Amino acid sequence: MTSVNQEYNEQTTDTRIEWLRTEVLANYTAYLLITPAIVFLLSVVAYPILETFRLSLYQSPTNSPVETFVGLDHYVAIFQSDIFYQLLWQTGRWVVASVTLKTVLGLLIAVHLNQQIAGRKFFRTAFLIPWGIPYAISAVVFRWIQHPQYGYLNAILLETGLISSPIGILGNTSTAWFGAVLADVWIGTPFMAIIFLAGLQSIPDDLYEAAAIDGAEWWHQFRYITVPQLKSVILIATLLSTIWTFVSFDVIWTMTRGGPMNSSATLVIWIYRVAFDQGSLGEAAAFSVIGFAFLLVFAILYLRLYTRGGESL
Amino acid sequence: MMSLLGSGGAVAVAGCFGGEDPRESDGDIQFLTMGVGDNIEEYFEENNAAFEEEFDAELDFTSVTWDNAQSTLNTRVDGGEAPDVSRLPARWIPQFAGKEALVPLDDLMEGEFGDQFYEGLVESNYYDGHYYGAPWAQSNKCLYYNKDVFEEAGLDPKDPGLDTWDDMLDAAIEIRDNASTSPYGLPANEALETGSQYCHYHWSFGADLIDDDRNPAVNSDEGVEALSFYSSLAQEHEVTQPSPLSSSRQDVRRLFENGDLGMVIAHVYAGLNIEDSDQDFDYGIVQVPEGPAGRYNLSTVDSLVIYTQTENEDLARDLFEFYYDEERRFEYSKQKGFLPVVESVAERDFFTEDENWAPFVEASEYARSRPKISNFSEFNNRVVTAIQETVGGDKSAQEALDDAQADLEEILE
Repeated sequence: MTSVNQEYNEQTTDTRIEWLRTEVLANYTAYLLITPAIVFLLSVVAYPILETFRLSLYQSPTNSPVETFVGLDHYVAIFQSDIFYQLLWQTGRWVVASVTLKTVLGLLIAVHLNQQIAGRKFFRTAFLIPWGIPYAISAVVFRWIQHPQYGYLNAILLETGLISSPIGILGNTSTAWFGAVLADVWIGTPFMAIIFLAGLQSIPDDLYEAAAIDGAEWWHQFRYITVPQLKSVILIATLLSTIWTFVSFDVIWTMTRGGPMNSSATLVIWIYRVAFDQGSLGEAAAFSVIGFAFLLVFAILYLRLYTRGGESL
Repeated sequence: MMSLLGSGGAVAVAGCFGGEDPRESDGDIQFLTMGVGDNIEEYFEENNAAFEEEFDAELDFTSVTWDNAQSTLNTRVDGGEAPDVSRLPARWIPQFAGKEALVPLDDLMEGEFGDQFYEGLVESNYYDGHYYGAPWAQSNKCLYYNKDVFEEAGLDPKDPGLDTWDDMLDAAIEIRDNASTSPYGLPANEALETGSQYCHYHWSFGADLIDDDRNPAVNSDEGVEALSFYSSLAQEHEVTQPSPLSSSRQDVRRLFENGDLGMVIAHVYAGLNIEDSDQDFDYGIVQVPEGPAGRYNLSTVDSLVIYTQTENEDLARDLFEFYYDEERRFEYSKQKGFLPVVESVAERDFFTEDENWAPFVEASEYARSRPKISNFSEFNNRVVTAIQETVGGDKSAQEALDDAQADLEEILE
């Protein structure tokens, strides 16, 4: 059977244009109806991306009124700088730790909320609250919790004798990033839990009943029924969470501003600092384009990896 | 999906921060300022209304938060949407003047209008051969000490003997050993505040940030000595609050205002806040201690500027004349808690006789501004990284400043 693709490839350019013209004329109402959507997409999605890329080729106004074309100079400088590799490592560390914790905790909460427990409705609602609070507010709360003088975390540790003097989690280069991860996990876990819960509810009970009759323990049921059945939900949830965490700004900015000594800065924090603290819009745009490329490649690889068995989402 | 991958659009999105669009207003003149809080809101409401009536004009008054101020102004100037008049920190003048965004105000500042200000404050607005602004607000710092804590530590609260850094360290050690309160507040987590606190030490040890040829000069012997002393407060002597790298200027100020700190270098409003609160401890205010090369006080000046994009320059100048009326300046300083910029206002009894204000008026004698660098933020961030590396014990002062010097030479190239 000749596929549509083969048929299309066998056409010459002229016949293709002719085919396109006929196609559009034959279905002009449909094309007319989707035109606003296309224009909308081009203006709100394509234009900012192209404009960011254009900006990255210019020495944009920092202390100069003129935009000077510098080609790929910003990219070369970024790839030659130490801070870029430091930021990559720190961004990766932030994303992996945060998404992993959110996924594992979200899954555990979802599995428990899926049981017939007393007050199930209340807990389902209560677990959503952290996600409903503005990120910046939650970040401020966590900053206070971890504050060496006023935070109750230190108060508890001091009271129980685990530490002898207050510790500043956000003031230590080794721990500041993890202090921010804690806040991000608290904020982001409910989303994961709700998505997983929706997925769990779509798994037929028959599977568990059959497994139980066969003598499968809880762990085996979880491993061989729950996880495989949730695969596509886990894929989408972790992909979205990875992207959101990668571009997350407010939590880190509110808690540490990327410090101390840039130890908790991620690519997005750096983009903001370069753009608005230092006024170098061109360099910030170049960082943005690189970050965008990383995410795009990641998303494509991730989707391919999970769908290579021919399974679609 | 593409929109979710939108780090590429981050700059475009971030450009919207603080993004009111006052151009949509029919106002004749736009006045943008920062951080108008409860204590000064009514002042602006009344005076803006008076201006509108007097000049038969519409005044579009906007206040943005300090966090958004720089990005708002940058975005609006770059986007051709600059306000007519705005307040801005004088340290931003080189950047905006470099963009040719500011109207030179030489005629104003070299004439009778300019004579009303302290000379040093006028100079803060001078860059590249022109005056680009008029001083709007200034702040400086003094050393506060908690008299109750001094007494508990066996020190004399009436004669605290805090003339030099060594005196301060000796007192801090006494407090560390004999009292239950952290001796000294050292903020080191936020770039601008950390840099502004450290300046007092750096300058008083005889070091500078840039030399006469505008090259970085942070790693001089004097600079290393200053930073060594500064970090020794946390590292060697342990006389600071726990974890200085977690503490902002506000954190240590609050600690002092709550009576939980022996000493802190802070603005006048720390004292004003204690007066307004129900705290019952007694405190004293002395000058920032002297170093081997003298006593310096960081003077931070905010200015009022006119943007070249204005189509109402005459009315903008009227706004200047209006808000620099002596009585209005007095009310502003009094209500806002900023030192007066106009000499005749500063000489009023309200400031010279008051025990909270008088030391700060005196501190103007030791005033010094930050160097004028067009990419000040980048410069300051790098210096602060060196400070944090030393205070955190990661590097010696010499190593940290040598590394900073190398980077700063590239930054200022």
